[in-house]
Amino acid sequence: MPQVFPKSMNVLARLLIFGLPLGAAGGAVAGTAFYRSDYTTGAREVWDQPVKFSHKHHVAQLGIGCQYCHTSVEVSANAGFPPTQTCMNCHQQMWVGADALAPIREGYKKDEPMAWNKVHNVPHYTYFNHSIHVGKGVGCYSCHGQVDEMNLLYQTKTLLMEWCLNCHRNPELNLRPRSEIYNLRWKAEDGSVDTDGETIEPGSQAEVGRKLKEKYQVRGSQVLTNCSMCHR
Amino acid sequence: MPADNTPAAPDQWQSVDQWMDSPAFRDLMRDEFPADAAEWLDPVSRRTALGLMGASVALATGCNPSLKPASARKVVPYVRQPSGLLPGVPLFFATAMPQAGGVGLGLVAKSTEGRPIKLEGNPSHPSSLGGTNIFAQAAVLDLYDVDRSASVLRRGEPSTYDNAIKAIRDALDAQKGKQGEGVRIVTEPTTSPTLTRVMGDLLKQYPKAKWLQYEPLAGDDRLAAQVAAFGKPVNPVYDFTKADVVLSLDCDFLAAGTPADVRYARDFISRRKVRSVTAGLDAKDGIKPEAMSRLYAVESMVTCTGATADHRLPLKPSDIDAFARALALRVGVAGTAAQPITGMGATWVDQVAAELTKAGKAALVVAGDTQPVAVHLLAMAINEKLGAVGQTVAYTEPLQPNPAGAVGGLQALVADLKAGKVDLLYMGGVNPAYDAPADLEFKATLAAFKGLSVHHGLYVDETGVLCNWHINAAHFLEAWGDVRGHDGTVALQQPLIAPVYGGKSPAEVFTTLTGQTVGDPLDLVKATWKAHFEAEVKGPEFEVWWNTAVREGVVEKTAAKPAGVGAVKLDELPKLAAMTSGGIEVQFRADPSLYDGRYANNGWLQEVPKPVSKIAWDNAALLSANTAQKLGLYETGWFTGDTGNTYGWSGGEHGRTNGQMAEFTLNGRKLMAAVFILPGHADDAVTFYVGHGRDRAGKVGSPSGVGTGFNTYKLRTTDGLWAAGGLDIKPTGDVYLLACTQGQYAMEGRRPARSATREQFAAKEHFAQVPAATPGEYKEIRELTPGTPEDFKRLGKKHPFAGGGHDGHDHATDEHHDDHEVHDKRLIPLSLYPEYPQKVKGEEATKTYRRWGMGIDLNACTGCSVCVVACVAENNIPVVGKEQVTKGRAMHWLRIDRYFSIPGADEGDDQLGDKSVRGRNRAEQAKRSADIRVHFQPVMCVHCEKAPCEVVCPVGATLHDADGINAMVYNRCVGTRYCSNNCPYKVRRFNFIQYADYATPARKLVNNPEVTVRTRGVMEKCTYCIQRIRNAEMQAEREHATRPKDDVGRPKIFDGEIVTACQQACPTGAIAFGDINDRTSKVLRWKAEPTAYGLLAELNTMPRTTHVAQVRNENPAMSRGNKGGA
Repeated sequence: MPQVFPKSMNVLARLLIFGLPLGAAGGAVAGTAFYRSDYTTGAREVWDQPVKFSHKHHVAQLGIGCQYCHTSVEVSANAGFPPTQTCMNCHQQMWVGADALAPIREGYKKDEPMAWNKVHNVPHYTYFNHSIHVGKGVGCYSCHGQVDEMNLLYQTKTLLMEWCLNCHRNPELNLRPRSEIYNLRWKAEDGSVDTDGETIEPGSQAEVGRKLKEKYQVRGSQVLTNCSMCHR
Repeated sequence: MPADNTPAAPDQWQSVDQWMDSPAFRDLMRDEFPADAAEWLDPVSRRTALGLMGASVALATGCNPSLKPASARKVVPYVRQPSGLLPGVPLFFATAMPQAGGVGLGLVAKSTEGRPIKLEGNPSHPSSLGGTNIFAQAAVLDLYDVDRSASVLRRGEPSTYDNAIKAIRDALDAQKGKQGEGVRIVTEPTTSPTLTRVMGDLLKQYPKAKWLQYEPLAGDDRLAAQVAAFGKPVNPVYDFTKADVVLSLDCDFLAAGTPADVRYARDFISRRKVRSVTAGLDAKDGIKPEAMSRLYAVESMVTCTGATADHRLPLKPSDIDAFARALALRVGVAGTAAQPITGMGATWVDQVAAELTKAGKAALVVAGDTQPVAVHLLAMAINEKLGAVGQTVAYTEPLQPNPAGAVGGLQALVADLKAGKVDLLYMGGVNPAYDAPADLEFKATLAAFKGLSVHHGLYVDETGVLCNWHINAAHFLEAWGDVRGHDGTVALQQPLIAPVYGGKSPAEVFTTLTGQTVGDPLDLVKATWKAHFEAEVKGPEFEVWWNTAVREGVVEKTAAKPAGVGAVKLDELPKLAAMTSGGIEVQFRADPSLYDGRYANNGWLQEVPKPVSKIAWDNAALLSANTAQKLGLYETGWFTGDTGNTYGWSGGEHGRTNGQMAEFTLNGRKLMAAVFILPGHADDAVTFYVGHGRDRAGKVGSPSGVGTGFNTYKLRTTDGLWAAGGLDIKPTGDVYLLACTQGQYAMEGRRPARSATREQFAAKEHFAQVPAATPGEYKEIRELTPGTPEDFKRLGKKHPFAGGGHDGHDHATDEHHDDHEVHDKRLIPLSLYPEYPQKVKGEEATKTYRRWGMGIDLNACTGCSVCVVACVAENNIPVVGKEQVTKGRAMHWLRIDRYFSIPGADEGDDQLGDKSVRGRNRAEQAKRSADIRVHFQPVMCVHCEKAPCEVVCPVGATLHDADGINAMVYNRCVGTRYCSNNCPYKVRRFNFIQYADYATPARKLVNNPEVTVRTRGVMEKCTYCIQRIRNAEMQAEREHATRPKDDVGRPKIFDGEIVTACQQACPTGAIAFGDINDRTSKVLRWKAEPTAYGLLAELNTMPRTTHVAQVRNENPAMSRGNKGGA
């Protein structure tokens, strides 16, 4: 009886023996990488908006504070999205006739609300609360990134659950004095004077974070990683 | 479970089937959900299945290309944000709901981004004091009901409000010459000062016009009795806090539908919460056993009041009259005569008369609206004789303007209509075409009416469809208004939302009809109170006073004035009415869920099982086992004890009960209805709830044009409004499927609801501790019940209430020391379970962290079911409909189990005297209506520390949090239902199909945004209102710098800061919730009670929710058997 496989198949068999696991592993790596990629998570994807509002211009160049528009960030789950009225506070005085602002003026006149594209979307079954994060020393920067450098806003983080959990497991890596919550350029090395007047010495983020975790009574990871903290 | 050949009788039973231990019942008990639970709703062929598969693949790939974890959404901010509003932070506004008789219940509405989503009681309002009833809890669903009328209709065609007003004004103008002689206005009873003022203005213009305040269940006989007694109508206000002995003559004062039911329930139960004060235990929230009041109930139907009573005497309607007469004679009311009463009633008259006389001015006799004039007169006379007037009962000026007999008025109206005396008929908020007494033939009369008929209401109902004009009304949450509470105190109604479907309030319509223009409806109400302010308050600044009143929801010092009554005149005491031909008597009662039918289109109310019968979506002819046997309304075998039969008609297992159909004939009027055997019902009597069987209630109340249940108004006539004799019943042999949840969650006869008499309690405080199944082992079970002193000891902590000689622990261990030889192996904590407590900061969470726990006081539960509806409203629990309920798929997270028990006639426990009785004997026992006792027990997820559900979940969708919450993670659940299988409490609910309504835009408005709306294939259950816990926690944690610290150094969450939805709604305070590790918490006090017990704690589950066993204040001279403690 002749051989079923010719000798040349040996090479192929050897290739397969090593190649299959490698291929599977590579596929898995590629899969997880894809799952976390900007393409899937929507990070760095710039959304068009009905009015091309530039955070860079308003925050970095004009120096308007976050809370001027996001008024309820310290007391509510929602940071608060500015009503058209807030835009008109200034734009009744400046750029009164600018074409770019026409939808704002029209909406204000006709009492029709703006419909902005939401950039940071969290699943419906996840209940994120701004006030507790801000209250415990998590700055805007930690989740929203360098907003003062963005013209049209985009998401800088994956917003995957593992990203949330990274911080809930080690909150100290993202804590800052409450006086620096809205400072998008603060570094732990800068130090600060906290809202209660206490001087926060410069140090590494881990050191400063540990101290602040104590000071703000941030709960331990055993509690912060409980399912019903966010899902209910 | 006993072996099949030696069934033991359960001590407490939920259904006759369980009591009889039928084979069918045993089969059904083996399954978690009914056998066909997982079937497709419609037969699906292989071809369709393939098609569906293809479609779903297409959906997964083509229609939703996004791989993002969350879908992209729009954010639409306000153009001008209302001041005071913060997105995501709810606002609360005081308002009030007019209920039966136009009497208001003060409420606080929770508004989220402009839409009211939840109503709670207003603590400042005397009729509420913070509690609510089921109608108030369900009112937000009515607000958004898609079946509400959305436009003005002229003969069914859309028209405009202005056209309607013009048509009515033309008709009114034509009446100017006749001074309005041909004008008839029918409204629902109102207590609104503004509406009274407006109607006064209108009637001034048309002095001969007639205004009738009508509702089918108005207390006409009560009113007539008051006029007979005092010469004028009055408003009785009872004070149950002062009453030591209460006799209810068929007065269901604890159930929704009675004015002031919320306040009365709270007051009455405040004298029933027994707290045995162990050393160091502060009994702030209870009373000592000696201070308990005693309640006697004489009634036909088993009502909430009767079920809560210490003694209950079932009597057919005509006998209640006789009983009242005999009692009055015995108490010494002059001018009464009575026929002698025999049997049980005789003992009752002796004992009750003695007790009432002894209590004197601390006694109270209340008569229900179902009772005839004579009973009301006698009740008033007895109260007067005992000196109770001014003590437990006060008479104030009536709440409604010019109260008069509603049905008498309707009778006159029908006569006028037939005589052609009426040119304009205006009907506001009433539905006589459906609910008028049958002999008036209102519907036919209205259809034949030639003049102008106008209907003003929330729905185009049976009446609206027959009228020339229909004007859509505003819901009470959409309109400004004012309404009086049970004692006359005025509550202001604020609109929470602009009318969702347009609509006008009655005050707006009538003001427009007087010829004035209405700008802002607020001005109407404000004008009334401006006049009041100038006349009575005379303060400096009206606006300040007004704003305070609006914010508080209550206008100060507006309680009705005392009526100033003389002695009760019994001259007009009617003779004892001999009910026609004796036979079977019928009684009509308000439906516990739908009242007179006005709430028929409310799914939340339809789906709530009625308190005692546990029937949802239906009414049935309720009668006793004796009567059923007499009429042949049973299956062969039941009364002979042949347990080979199926008993399918009597049980209610898995939400199914087959009711025998019968034809009921009363004075020639016929009605087909299903029969339901209710243990404890009076013999020779049938109770019909009215309010079902509406043709035009809407998609919920009349699916496909047929009303739920049976329209029992068809038998109700003017001379038998509440009761009538000579009912003829013919079984048809047909079978009708009732949705009855009573036996659905049977717990294998473990006697879950424990109770004892005061004497038993005094002799053995720990009566609730030793479950019958496991003698001894008290200590172990207590250790396995979180919050008890023993549990604290196990954790190595000192319990704040554990010291002292009268301590529960020591006492009990001594007592049961001998029993320890009978060691129950099941009580050793199982190693299979994951090691809970979790560690927080290196220490066990149970020791150092917040430990949420709940206590349920069975002393305080009246079975009213408001907690069930409150839970539905808070947690977005879907309505599933009758068909699904009959498959055992009701979704309520919180249920109220109702058990029956028969205290042994002989020596022995509160159980069937002899366990060996079978078949025939058991059937005999079930017929002892007077001995049957009813127990209520609210049960929801008890958040076991060793939760059996968690270990079996393959995907970790249910697991523990550090604070002991048994969390349910919906987005992980894949729907295996193992958890539900393994739950001994049967509190997990599964979304078998897509119950939550994602499709109807208006239906979404009522959802609580704080709670996930669950989709198909997901398990759900009580979360302890996790959203309320987390919100309170976040607030406390945010304020960490300024808040006081608790024992472990965390920002303190004060006791009472977190209130669960069920707890907040409960008028009697039967539920306590809080942190067991908080030494000041109420719930910890409750758990330290000797009567506190963990439901099924003997199964090692360590339930965080514990119950406080019931102590009844029975009269020792009347107790039967029942000496051993339950």
